[in-house]
Amino acid sequence: MIALDNVTKSYRIESLVIPVLKGITLTVSEREFVAIMGPSGSGKSTLLNIIGCLDCVDTGNYQLDAEPIAGASEDRLAIIRSSKLGFVFQLFNLIPRVNALRNVELPLIYAGVAPKLRRERALAMLDAVGMADRAAHTPAQLSGGQQQRVAIARALVNQPDVLIADEPTGSLDSKAGNDIMQLLDRLNAQGLTIVMVTHEEDIAAYASRTLRLRDGLVERDQYNRRIAQVH
Amino acid sequence: MGVNTRRFILDGIGQAVWALRYNRLRTMLSVLGITVGIAGVMAIGTISKSGRYLIFSELETFGLKSVWVYRTNDDKDPNRAVRAGTGIEARDVEVLAHCCPAVHHISPVVFGRGAGLLVRVGKRFSNPQLTGVGADYAIVNNEELRGGRFFKVAEVQHRRNMAVMGVTAAEDLFGPDVDPVGKEIRIGDRWYLVIGLLENKDRAFIGSLGSPGGIDANNRILLPYTTLQAQIGSKDVGVIQAEAVDVAQADAAVGELTQVLEREHNHRYAYKSTTMAQYIKVSERIVQGVSLIGIVAASISLLVGGLGILNIVSTSVQERTREIGLRKAVGASQGSILFQFLMESVIISVSGGLLGLLLGVVGSVGLALATGFPLMPSWPIVVLAIVMSVLVGLLSGYYPARRAALLRPVLALRYE
Repeated sequence: MIALDNVTKSYRIESLVIPVLKGITLTVSEREFVAIMGPSGSGKSTLLNIIGCLDCVDTGNYQLDAEPIAGASEDRLAIIRSSKLGFVFQLFNLIPRVNALRNVELPLIYAGVAPKLRRERALAMLDAVGMADRAAHTPAQLSGGQQQRVAIARALVNQPDVLIADEPTGSLDSKAGNDIMQLLDRLNAQGLTIVMVTHEEDIAAYASRTLRLRDGLVERDQYNRRIAQVH
Repeated sequence: MGVNTRRFILDGIGQAVWALRYNRLRTMLSVLGITVGIAGVMAIGTISKSGRYLIFSELETFGLKSVWVYRTNDDKDPNRAVRAGTGIEARDVEVLAHCCPAVHHISPVVFGRGAGLLVRVGKRFSNPQLTGVGADYAIVNNEELRGGRFFKVAEVQHRRNMAVMGVTAAEDLFGPDVDPVGKEIRIGDRWYLVIGLLENKDRAFIGSLGSPGGIDANNRILLPYTTLQAQIGSKDVGVIQAEAVDVAQADAAVGELTQVLEREHNHRYAYKSTTMAQYIKVSERIVQGVSLIGIVAASISLLVGGLGILNIVSTSVQERTREIGLRKAVGASQGSILFQFLMESVIISVSGGLLGLLLGVVGSVGLALATGFPLMPSWPIVVLAIVMSVLVGLLSGYYPARRAALLRPVLALRYE
């Protein structure tokens, strides 16, 4: 489903060229739950952004569902993000001035879904993450864990193939963080492919596969023995 | 328009409204900037259009094709004292009528002013302008009759004691709402039969500018010029007033009239002329001048308003960089981001425009009621104001909206 072939990426700070990814080759199949780990500067966020079509590769190939992404137009990328990908961020990135329901509706607007259907699907998705009773609350009225649940509802409302999660528990306490991870774990069990960046081992432990990066290269790629869910 | 296009537009507007409502005070302030500009556009449009209408409706009372020819004292003639008189005689009129192809109708004008003629009916007195005219004067001077009729050629030839009077003179002599036609009035030591009552002529605006033409145009009594000449014992004609075949021929008409007069009098006099076409040109220039100043002022305020919007939308794009990144991450295309921010600025400017429109309409109607000047906003001005406000919105919103649309999602999401 996700296929990277010798992908490189470097950043330019004035005249300085800093290579971030030095040749990553990676395949992620459907229903996998991949945690990307590595020290800061290892390129894990950049890799995630490339997989999420938020950033483009310098050299190498990236194919998503057998579609080459490297040469895709901005409009095509927007459609891919809209239809195949869902994003969850460390800082939730909810729009502060509108309520949870409106936030979850947002991707449906850009997918061109009719207003009535939009509402129904957003409400159903809020219900699925246990936030139906908070639909009318603005982000400021919600706890961090609740905000992340709303963000997950928003990420899933377009029924994406892949969930891209950038440190989803990074701004949560461990209780809320574990709750979110259990939610992701459940979603993965239902068939959702997840690619997640984290720097916490116990969070990465929820994944079925851990990819360790160092200096822009894959240091270790390892399949986990699933730990028993603790309730 | 397909369902998708309509939804795209409605959603774009909807997103813009969300954003604008969140920053109510800021939105309102930038709306006001445009309001002032559009109200200015309205005011200028209305004032110049109404002013034009006002001036032209009053100029029309002189006849738009009218020309006047009269003797000038600027001839530097050392013998001027010897050559007294007006330089125009009754017999010239016949010649002029036949020798001037650019002239359509012609009438001599004899002034009775200064002859000390008293006008009265019984014990009622009046002090009107006494003017001797030819039979074509009604056409030349664009006179309409409220009652009775004008002089006939034969009546002018035979020096009939007949009078046509304006409404103020009639009211002075007979009282209000009395039809003077068929009644007699006394001018000096002679009796005159009133045969016509002139329609009201409004020259309040020209009068307010201090022009002598603005002296109450209704306080007049017209007599056959032959009769007036006989009564004051003079053969002079003060002015030749003529109607050119059309406004464009006014200069040709005065040229012909002057030439013929100079020839007939062996170049003993110099003549001067005035044409309504000149007045029209001058008035048009005044109206244009006023409009131009207004347009400049309104444009400046619209420019300032537009820059205000540019500033607001730019700030909004900057503040919401992360949000834009998020919108792109959840599938917003460049087009929908561009459209949303463009709508924000258009909504601001059109709201301002509508408010300004309202202000302009209320203002000009209010001013019209207060001053009595017919200041009526017209549809073309309303349409212009709306088009201008949409245009200001599009122009001032385009740059920041484009910047928002082109933001790279990965950088926008990382923006602090």
